[in-house]
Amino acid sequence: MLHRPTSHSAAIGPGPVPSLANPGPALEQQPRHAPQAPSCGSEAFCVDPQALSSSHPRQHTQYPYVTGTSVLGITFKDGVLLACDTLGAYGSTKRYKSFDRLRKVNDVCMVGASGELSDFQYIMRLLEELSDDDFCMDDGHHLKPAEVHSYLTRVLYNRRNKMDPLWNSLVVGGFHSGKPFLGTVGMIGTSYTDAHLATGFGNHLARPLMREKHHPDMSEEEAVALMHECLKVCYYRDKNSINKFQLAKVTKDGVSISEPFALETNWGFKLFQNPAANAVGTW
Amino acid sequence: MFRNQYDQDVTTWSPQGRIFQIEYAMEAVKQGSAAVGLKSGEHAVLATIKRAPSDLSSYQRKIFKIDDHMGIAISGLTADGRILCRYMRNECLNHRFVYDSPMPLGRLVRQVADKAQLGTQRSWKRPYGVGLIVAGHDESGPHIFYNCPSGNYYDYKAFAMGARSQAAKTYLERQFETFAAASLDDLVKHALHALQASLQDGELTEKNCSVAVVGGDMPFTLLEDDSLAPYIAAIKEEEPAAAAGMEAEGAAAEGDAAAGEGGAAGEGEQQQEQQGGGGGDDGGEAPMEQ
Amino acid sequence: MSGIGTGYDLSTGTFSPDGRVFQTDYAQKAVDNSGTVVGIRCKDGVVLGAEKLIISKMLEQHSNRRTFPADRHAGMAVAGVAADGRSVVSRAMAEANQYKSIYGEAIPGHVLAERLGSFMHLFNLYGGYRPYGVSALLATYGKEGPQLYLVEPSGVTYRYFGTAVGKGRQGAKNEIEKLKLGEMSCREGIQAVAKILHQVHDEEKGFEMELAWVCEESGRHFQRVPQQLADEAEAAAKAALEAEDMDD
Repeated sequence: MLHRPTSHSAAIGPGPVPSLANPGPALEQQPRHAPQAPSCGSEAFCVDPQALSSSHPRQHTQYPYVTGTSVLGITFKDGVLLACDTLGAYGSTKRYKSFDRLRKVNDVCMVGASGELSDFQYIMRLLEELSDDDFCMDDGHHLKPAEVHSYLTRVLYNRRNKMDPLWNSLVVGGFHSGKPFLGTVGMIGTSYTDAHLATGFGNHLARPLMREKHHPDMSEEEAVALMHECLKVCYYRDKNSINKFQLAKVTKDGVSISEPFALETNWGFKLFQNPAANAVGTW
Repeated sequence: MFRNQYDQDVTTWSPQGRIFQIEYAMEAVKQGSAAVGLKSGEHAVLATIKRAPSDLSSYQRKIFKIDDHMGIAISGLTADGRILCRYMRNECLNHRFVYDSPMPLGRLVRQVADKAQLGTQRSWKRPYGVGLIVAGHDESGPHIFYNCPSGNYYDYKAFAMGARSQAAKTYLERQFETFAAASLDDLVKHALHALQASLQDGELTEKNCSVAVVGGDMPFTLLEDDSLAPYIAAIKEEEPAAAAGMEAEGAAAEGDAAAGEGGAAGEGEQQQEQQGGGGGDDGGEAPMEQ
Repeated sequence: MSGIGTGYDLSTGTFSPDGRVFQTDYAQKAVDNSGTVVGIRCKDGVVLGAEKLIISKMLEQHSNRRTFPADRHAGMAVAGVAADGRSVVSRAMAEANQYKSIYGEAIPGHVLAERLGSFMHLFNLYGGYRPYGVSALLATYGKEGPQLYLVEPSGVTYRYFGTAVGKGRQGAKNEIEKLKLGEMSCREGIQAVAKILHQVHDEEKGFEMELAWVCEESGRHFQRVPQQLADEAEAAAKAALEAEDMDD
């Protein structure tokens, strides 16, 4: 009389429920797709079994396509500044000239990305899901900058262990409980925090300037001036960059990302006009 | 021979819109020995009475640490409690691994409740037969949550569950407004007083009870045996004074509790319609919160 | 509809000889016994309100939530078994999230309502499950403007200008019919909802009111009505009720 299915497992055998009508999988809440899981759908935090079983080597991303160049970040007395240009380069073609590479995560945190921009869009979708969850829980908790940084480290490191990396260097900037936060994550999951940071070329071109001029209690004006100088230096020497920048700021008042702007540049240096003059034997 | 044909299966609604299997699972919580949880503005405290199945055995553990910032007290089926405990520990570890931070209590408690709900809607499962008091401290301060077999959870200032917990609840209801400003020591003493109330004539010793404390400035710490002895001694000293105050109303409360177990209506159950003289609810948690 | 004692009302997988699935009706019964939940669609948004009985004075304020966001632009108020309600809300969150992942924009209200209806209906089809003991009012504010939906345990879905479920639904619906919803702002709406909840509440026991809205003022985000506004609305509602009593 009372209907009691004896088995819900195809492995054990059919119970009173015809196996096709077994509602199990359709009704059971699917575990929410773990954001840190790879796109191939394997379990999070473990090696993709398909990658082990297939006889051919499984190939994932071999190189990035549309990329962004350096992101710079510095802390100052009451917040953090991030800056970068707005170029999405297809190889060395300046293909997309107004791509926002600085994004807000929530009121205390933002992320800047260099590297593959489609991967960055995917990463932003993950972070958006997390902050949507925070909104839906409606309990006042939200992700702190350090948590976002740790989370991204897990995601990127996990994906590199799947041999399917997200091809990005990310910078996380935030301000929480009176303290600025600045951290970075590389595409293989290397992560660290520092008072000033740069990804890619910026590491070589801008960091020396920052080391020289940065101090933790600098004012916002000083920080912006330093940032402009670093941007300009990067722009002069990095061919995959354009003179259209955005500057973002996180302070206790929240996140603000500036409209794109250009810096005044001077290309009239003598050495620029004839760079081979002092190098005999070149052209 | 069936008193009630609608109480056999967790997937059967009664014509009145109740699910008896869930209510029976909630009865299991009352079979366990008493546990209380309470908090101040800074700390949360758990206290439990432990039982020993025989003189030759040790006392059954009732309090489990989940993470540095939280722990649980269980009442009911210990084995079910340990499953939930393992689940909570796991979630906290995963949270620490991914976010490098302690998990917010409210989120974990909601997850546990969602997990418990699954067992109330599938014929091949059963509800958990255990109540959890979750005590902990996170960004938003100290918390006491109660997780019920029905899949409900409640955010309490102070709470008691388990056998004869009505007496403890009565004590807490009378005192809880003073808890917000209480010191940690006072909080522990209140917890022990509440336990003592539910122990009736039994004696509270450092062997048959255990206490745990947690706060922003201290990790979840279990107080047992020697570290608990001073508190027991302290409340024994206070006892005559406290007892005098308790006596008048306390007697009434205990009578109430006894009546509740006998099957008559306890305080909180007036909210639910009575059907066929269903078992007494010891107040506080309405079965399905409709 | 007496299936009691016949044995045809014990499982969701059983039809009675006259073609009913009694378990579905019984689940609806759980909703009908629960605290009243009211929803109205005003000209600039939707207001939801829930009556919560206070089961213990030691409960924290805002414990036992009845209104939940499901996405930025959508949220629900649930009547019936609270634990089932959260389960439905979780599904709504998952649907909204999945829709956004695939289509890149917020899930429209009618799609979400329909999907939830289908989801809840599934639980009426198999003997291994029981129907949800929940009616969910769904408030959304997307491209199609503010909308209010009701999803019942059977999986039936309606769109409403205003409706109520739970114990005091009949009285509440009568009151809602008197409102000029097309001319009402949400600010006025929260007061109307507060008044209705007080009106239909059974006097003896205390209750806590939970108000939530999605409207222009909240930036088309579903959120609980700010505490101050809710308190003001409740005070105004009480005053209005007293004034009416005096008139009588």
